[in-house]
Amino acid sequence: MNSVQGITLRGMEAVGVEVEVEIAGGLFSISIVGLPDAAVRESKERVRAALRSLDMAVRGRVAVNLAPADLPKEGAVLDLPIAIGIASAMGRLPSVPRGIFLGELALDGRLRGVRGAVGAAILARDTGVPLFAPADNAEEISLVRGCEAYSVESLDALFACFRGERSLPPVSERGPEEERARPEPDFADIRGQAGAKRALEIAAAGHHNILLIGSPGSGKTLLARALRGILPPLSHEELLEVTLVRSTLGLPFERGLTPPFRSVHHTASTASVCGGGSNLRPGEVSLAHRGVLFLDEFPEFRRDLVEGLRQPLEDGVITVSRASGSALYPCRVLLVVAANPCQCGWEGDPVERCVCSGAELERYHRKISGPILDRIDLHVSVPRLLPRELVAVEESGGESSEVIAERVRAAREVQRDRWASLGFTCNAELPERVVKRSLALSAEVRPFLSSMAGSLRLSARGIGRVLKVARTIADLAGSRLVEVPHVGEALAYRDGGAFR
Amino acid sequence: MSPLLRALLLVAGVGAAATRIWSAFEQEGAPPEAFLEGGPALWGRLGASPVVIEGLQSLGSSSWPDEEEERASKLGVRLLTCMDPEWPEDLDGQPDSPRLLYIMGRWPLPGPFVSVVGTRRSSQYGSRAAYEIGRAVAGAGGVVVSGGAAGIDGAAHEGCLSAGGSSLAVLGTGVDVAYPRSHAKLFERLSRDGGLVSEYPLGSSPRQWRFPERNRIIASLARPLVVVEAPARSGAMITARRALELGREVWAVPGRINEEGCQGSNRLIYDGAIPLVSVADFISLAFNRQLSLFGEPARTVDNSIAFSEKEQRILSLLEKSGDRTVDNLAVEGKMSPADVFSSLAALTAAGRVYAAGPGRWSAVPK
Repeated sequence: MNSVQGITLRGMEAVGVEVEVEIAGGLFSISIVGLPDAAVRESKERVRAALRSLDMAVRGRVAVNLAPADLPKEGAVLDLPIAIGIASAMGRLPSVPRGIFLGELALDGRLRGVRGAVGAAILARDTGVPLFAPADNAEEISLVRGCEAYSVESLDALFACFRGERSLPPVSERGPEEERARPEPDFADIRGQAGAKRALEIAAAGHHNILLIGSPGSGKTLLARALRGILPPLSHEELLEVTLVRSTLGLPFERGLTPPFRSVHHTASTASVCGGGSNLRPGEVSLAHRGVLFLDEFPEFRRDLVEGLRQPLEDGVITVSRASGSALYPCRVLLVVAANPCQCGWEGDPVERCVCSGAELERYHRKISGPILDRIDLHVSVPRLLPRELVAVEESGGESSEVIAERVRAAREVQRDRWASLGFTCNAELPERVVKRSLALSAEVRPFLSSMAGSLRLSARGIGRVLKVARTIADLAGSRLVEVPHVGEALAYRDGGAFR
Repeated sequence: MSPLLRALLLVAGVGAAATRIWSAFEQEGAPPEAFLEGGPALWGRLGASPVVIEGLQSLGSSSWPDEEEERASKLGVRLLTCMDPEWPEDLDGQPDSPRLLYIMGRWPLPGPFVSVVGTRRSSQYGSRAAYEIGRAVAGAGGVVVSGGAAGIDGAAHEGCLSAGGSSLAVLGTGVDVAYPRSHAKLFERLSRDGGLVSEYPLGSSPRQWRFPERNRIIASLARPLVVVEAPARSGAMITARRALELGREVWAVPGRINEEGCQGSNRLIYDGAIPLVSVADFISLAFNRQLSLFGEPARTVDNSIAFSEKEQRILSLLEKSGDRTVDNLAVEGKMSPADVFSSLAALTAAGRVYAAGPGRWSAVPK
């Protein structure tokens, strides 16, 4: 008996599935065993119709076994191997070549794109067999280096290839696009907010998480969106990681090198952000991998969600565990958190009046502090600019994202070289113990900090964070040593600096 | 336990109405044990209502006074009676004068008392002004007296403590109750470096009427009283009115006329309170001496830090007009935002500028 290889997803990983088909005489029926989910069970209708469109009417009792039997199978990705298995068992195919087959069938025999094609391509590469995948998935598969893959338009074309009548178009390896798209919005398009722009530049350069505090309409969201435009472009490997997560969810492929930007609404459930569900889907935090995760209206987020993000942010990976198993997803994100200064949003505004009571203010400030803020190195205020102030800043103009991105890229390179021996890639990753000895502080920094520490009420942890940020500022300035002005600027972004 | 303390504990336990009965009793000049022996007949003659009589009776027959004394000694709370040589005389002479104080912390506190009061919902400007006044009072060797609330009260205490002074918080709860909760740490520091005072029994929870009631203590102790920011109807205005009745000097910090939070304090100025237009002038007048002659001026430390040229430029821009953003400063000071941030941090550490709102900066009032 022939067996055909397909896949099913476990987390992001594609796991091989053997499809075995036996046809016995009797009244027509198809039964599928091996823990199929609803989509797999329904595939019999699609398979039957698709085969009939090729004049292969299925007769008799058809038993389809999906091995290994104890692994749950999900999705329509198994349509194609089942169809091949049945056609082969009917004796309508000369021989089935070795390979991994995936695709969802349309009733007329066309092949539709599926989730998990990138994972399948990696599996095919690692096991050294060719991959036959729907043409819709060809683009994303082309990112996987060293994988022999063929793009399949329809069942008809595939069978024709089996019969040797014609060949299938191979999927050629392609790197990512060289040019990155013009960032949208561009920093030059945002008027004023020089302070916040500077802080975002530092955030991008050192991969520091950042908190933006400002009244409604001050431009927090716009600034956060602009951040992705100055982040270093994705490398080939990084784009593949990003695409792998997207492919797991069946999201359309994006070839651009701009890092992802994911904005999460505060009503989002923990599972949608951290990942979960019975089929262990990745969440927003993983979709933002190598890019920006933006939490607007941060104090409105549910406590358990925020707490749930803490460890993953530290580790760069998140383990989603459910009764059905567990899956590991990457989530190395730059966290951007935005908040109003108070419940009504107008505290400290020069024109609008704040209507919060003292108790409300207190409650709000308590909400905004907490363990997750310990992971945020940069705290910065985004003032709402008055019309006359906007007019004043207009003359000064602003740098374009391209110019800033170039500085950020250079600073990142310096960091990568410096920390390579320690296994870090950027300043924000440094653990406390490393900060103390290897930041290359100039001789004046220590006395300067101790003269400041008292009046600014800095804690030991706070000083560590200030020094990390100062290191990034020095890197942006191209300075080998961290000098006093760098530390001075870093102090302006310290914890609580945004409030008072 | 002395009969006086027992009697005063009963009075404190029952509350303000009993304080008046005690005051009437004091007028008669009888020894304190007579108050306890006299019983309901005496209390009734002095004008006590049946509820008060009942309260005094039931507390008197219970073990509460003894327990309260034990609790106080366990917590390190001193029970100061009006006969104690260290009792502040400024509190005497009114029919509702407190006769027993629960004190946690140092007592007596050295130096003249300057009461600083104002709204809980203070502006950044108001908080900063209160903070600077607190600092200056401490620097001149005075003691800041205020409530324990958020806003002006807290800022005044913080300022005083930051300059190494003693600060006194008069609470509307028991001295062992941290209200508001966010001030728990402040209260801890106050009980170490200053004092917490209350006329209410230990464990008394916050009640609306207690706060205006305790304001009379703040007003009585005030030499003088400073109102920083107060809406027209507020506890601070109650304090100010009381202080005026007692003939205390009242100062008020001028505020914007379009802001609700300043209407009371501005109205005080209109009605004759002394406008506080300079902290230094206030100190020299209130303490009857020049700041520089007396102890260490509040800002010697800061002056030792020499400001760079850029920092000076930022400072002079802010002194000209406050409430500016980094954008404004970068454009007007002709420097990069990075330099602005760096200068602001140094100036903040030196206590010369402060964040007047999200992303807005002002110079500290001189």
